Amino acid sequence: MKIFKKFTVTALTAVIAVTASFAGVAAAADSLKGKITVNGSTALLPLTLQAAKEFQKLHPKVKIAASGKGSVTGPQAVKKGIADIGACDWDASIDVPGFKAFDGQVANKVAVIPFATIVNKNVGVDNLTTEQLKGIYAGKITNWKEVGGSDANIVVITRAFGSGTRVNYQAKALGGGDIVKKEKNYKETGSSGDMKTAVGTTPNAIGYIDLVYVTGGDIKAVKFNGVEANTDNVINGSYKIWAYGYYMTNGQPTGATKEFIEYVQSKKFQQGSLKKLKFIPISAMQS
Amino acid sequence: MGAPVHSLTAKTQTSLEEVKRNTKRHRRHLLGNSISRYYFLFSILALCLVLGLVIVFIGKTALLLFTRISPQDFFFSFNWTPEEDAFGAAAFIVNTLSLTALTLVIAVPISVGMAVLCAEIAPKWLKSFIRPVLDLLVGIPSIVYGYLGLTVLLPFLRRVSGEGLGDGLLAAALVLALMVLPTICRISDDAIVAVPRKYRDAAYALGSTRLQVIMRVVLPAASRGIISAVILGMTRAVGETMAVVMVIGNTPQLAKSLFAPTSVLTSNIVMQISNVEFDSTWNYSLHMMAFLLLLISFVLILIIRLLGRKRRDA
Repeated sequence: MKIFKKFTVTALTAVIAVTASFAGVAAAADSLKGKITVNGSTALLPLTLQAAKEFQKLHPKVKIAASGKGSVTGPQAVKKGIADIGACDWDASIDVPGFKAFDGQVANKVAVIPFATIVNKNVGVDNLTTEQLKGIYAGKITNWKEVGGSDANIVVITRAFGSGTRVNYQAKALGGGDIVKKEKNYKETGSSGDMKTAVGTTPNAIGYIDLVYVTGGDIKAVKFNGVEANTDNVINGSYKIWAYGYYMTNGQPTGATKEFIEYVQSKKFQQGSLKKLKFIPISAMQS
Repeated sequence: MGAPVHSLTAKTQTSLEEVKRNTKRHRRHLLGNSISRYYFLFSILALCLVLGLVIVFIGKTALLLFTRISPQDFFFSFNWTPEEDAFGAAAFIVNTLSLTALTLVIAVPISVGMAVLCAEIAPKWLKSFIRPVLDLLVGIPSIVYGYLGLTVLLPFLRRVSGEGLGDGLLAAALVLALMVLPTICRISDDAIVAVPRKYRDAAYALGSTRLQVIMRVVLPAASRGIISAVILGMTRAVGETMAVVMVIGNTPQLAKSLFAPTSVLTSNIVMQISNVEFDSTWNYSLHMMAFLLLLISFVLILIIRLLGRKRRDA
């Protein structure tokens, strides 16, 4: 009996001690509470979800709800008051081709997103210049042999108007050039996943996608002006097709929203989880 | 639910108790009835309210379109370039109609044939195999059909046609045909089974062959049911989105051939609705397209109701 009693006492002490230490942690986090809603870009969604998971561990009283629908929905949702943070692949506080600036919104840089030109595995070409890409997407170059490939018609696959990937690709890879609208070998897809499937299953297809999606054997990333698409080349400045990802807020962020954005921008997150997700830390581009 | 009448005098003592008990039970039943009646009434009113709100909100936003552009521009222009303020939806309307027509051309003969097989010809074991299989087909999410279309059907069509892309009306119609097939087949099946046995007996008595009975007697007698089946299939084909979006190419142009990448009302809405600003002409015209689809289904369902009424009169 005595042994049991002793055991019980020890166990209870241990439980109390553990509880107390947890309570201590919780008490330290108590100061911050609130609810943050994030909406917008699907490219940034994996990053937001990961950050939310880590942030909620630090501040259990903060609730974060994140969803992705497309870049322009981010600042729009902020404008309508549906979301606190609008994730967007471009700076929506200034005018970009096709989209007017969202007045009163502040753009908070959170990540660097590299993009890549991809082709189907059967395409023999592995380097394309800005001029060649411009020609292909404008519908002037329609056969792979014109850019050094075999004699086959080029199938152009693009994202729908309003996609952040498209906005950035058009600005950086095509130098602001047009994308053909009505052609026989032209197809629009609704998301990065669809783009990957479409290019992977269509022979002679060309498309563009976030670098993080370039996996598997059906698609391959081609060099841009002779530079290979990888994170190192983005950081050293030789690969030009990349963009900042932004968290748009209505005015300067406050309270829990501010803390959350600061957490995403913190060195710990930028160098840790963000890098693991194959985004590039913003500090890498600013130094 | 009245209290039971007791004719046996020997049991008057107990029957008084029983009557009391029964009245109690009767009251309880009445209460239950009235509660459930109000509950059902509430449910149907709530449904009507929601439906009304949907129509009002879509319609309100849709009609705002005509404060920005004229109906002629929307309905009769083939130029859809929203980035440059051209909002002509004619190509989508024509494409939607031709896609539906093509789907029915493929699906109706096959599904009515299968319905005849099921109802008239097949042995019992085959029937009890086909019917559950068709019911299962309805349960597969449409995006799965779309994905199969994208990864299996399109490469096949590319090989057969020699086209670079393969996307277009034919691919979409084939996917849709597979999707509406169970709907049309099962409802036609029921309509054929419902044809009274005496019609067939009379026809056989006159010396008809089985084919004659089916073609001259059973199918005409079941024709109204089959037509409503076809219309139900049509409403599904008109409104289907996810499967179509993956195989049609999403290029806003009039389909000049079966393999030209093109776009229909539903696929255009789903591709663009999340990327447009709230108070823009673009947004209003997408709502107008949705409203148009609503009107099309409404008309089709009206036709079904009219057909059903005629059958009851006959």
